[in-house]
Amino acid sequence: MDLDPDDEPSSRTALLDAAIRLMSDRAPSTVTGRELAEEAGVNYGLVHYYFESSGDLLSAARDRHGSRLLADSMAGGTRPIPLDQVVSDREIFGFAAHVALEGGDDDADVSRPVFDAMLRLAAEGDPGGDPVHHRATVAAIVLLQLGWPVFVEHNATGLGLDLQEDGEMIRERFFTVLESLYRSIGVEAER
Amino acid sequence: MTTSGSSPRGADEVREALVAAAARLLGHSAPERISGRRLAEEAGVNYGLVHHYFGGKEAVLREGFSRLTESYAAGEELDTSGRVEPFSLLRWPGFVRAVAYASLSGEADRTHVTHPALDAAVEQTLEMRAGEDETDIRVDVGIATVFHLARCLFATTMDPWIARGGEAPDLVEEVEERLVLILRSLSLGLDPGTAARGDREPFRRSSVPD
Repeated sequence: MDLDPDDEPSSRTALLDAAIRLMSDRAPSTVTGRELAEEAGVNYGLVHYYFESSGDLLSAARDRHGSRLLADSMAGGTRPIPLDQVVSDREIFGFAAHVALEGGDDDADVSRPVFDAMLRLAAEGDPGGDPVHHRATVAAIVLLQLGWPVFVEHNATGLGLDLQEDGEMIRERFFTVLESLYRSIGVEAER
Repeated sequence: MTTSGSSPRGADEVREALVAAAARLLGHSAPERISGRRLAEEAGVNYGLVHHYFGGKEAVLREGFSRLTESYAAGEELDTSGRVEPFSLLRWPGFVRAVAYASLSGEADRTHVTHPALDAAVEQTLEMRAGEDETDIRVDVGIATVFHLARCLFATTMDPWIARGGEAPDLVEEVEERLVLILRSLSLGLDPGTAARGDREPFRRSSVPD
């Protein structure tokens, strides 16, 4: 197979972005290499050239996802993820959930640039604050954001709430919760 | 996987093997990806029996999900103080995973055969917040349950990061305690930011045990 070295970075990135798109809707184990290549618009052979195993692909996609989130949604780590994006951007959180479900987070040494950036925001917003408070608050915000798109429908239905009718009110209450947590660490969250 | 060397025989054993197989498989993939053949294989029974006893895979999956929900609700144990363990779902990963897979594949409806766990949470909270608007309480319990489920689904994502806190020796326990306080504040409709700071005063004022 001929490989043009100049193409490497962009086709690898294209594959990772395609993986994130596909795996936000479907479990990673159900995505085939051919689908991935087609979605990325690259040669099928490159899938195996760049990624030795599906585990390699999943952890590389997870890292790419984290750095994109940090660069775009958090404007390089200078602000929290806007609240509207939390409830509307399925690609971000569907992918994260699938990674957790399929063991992509099982390595304890994985770096967490997004969580770390939020902790830095807390250190700036509430200088000299209690480290337990900061870490617990960041953890709570992250968990609520990760869990919302996955579980909101399940819980609403189970509680006899109608997401069509009550959706606005439920979202408003959720935003109030996140804003309160952010405010406790001196951070203002945009909607 | 069959539990013993011999295949299940007779109506009761076959039905039980299929429902148990569904409960296991639902924790590992989206319901839409579980075929009747896969169910039969996992149960160690003939494929034709799926239709014979259940009319199709849908009914097996529904009963499998009920099984997961009921075994979770039945397994909620009280700790020494007589309270339900706050993040009790940590001990039921199969249930949490099944809810997540079903929801992510747009099949959250399937997960609603029965919901004893949520029902119990609402009932308990309604009692503690007697006189408050019931819809508000349901929304709060819903948000608290999102937090609870997420704490469990993302345990391998979050726990190692929490432990990275450095110097403080009791940090992990203290953070966990704080997360429990936040969880309680959510279902009681108290300010979560105040709970995050470790302030228990609002719990006392609401005359609810913290």
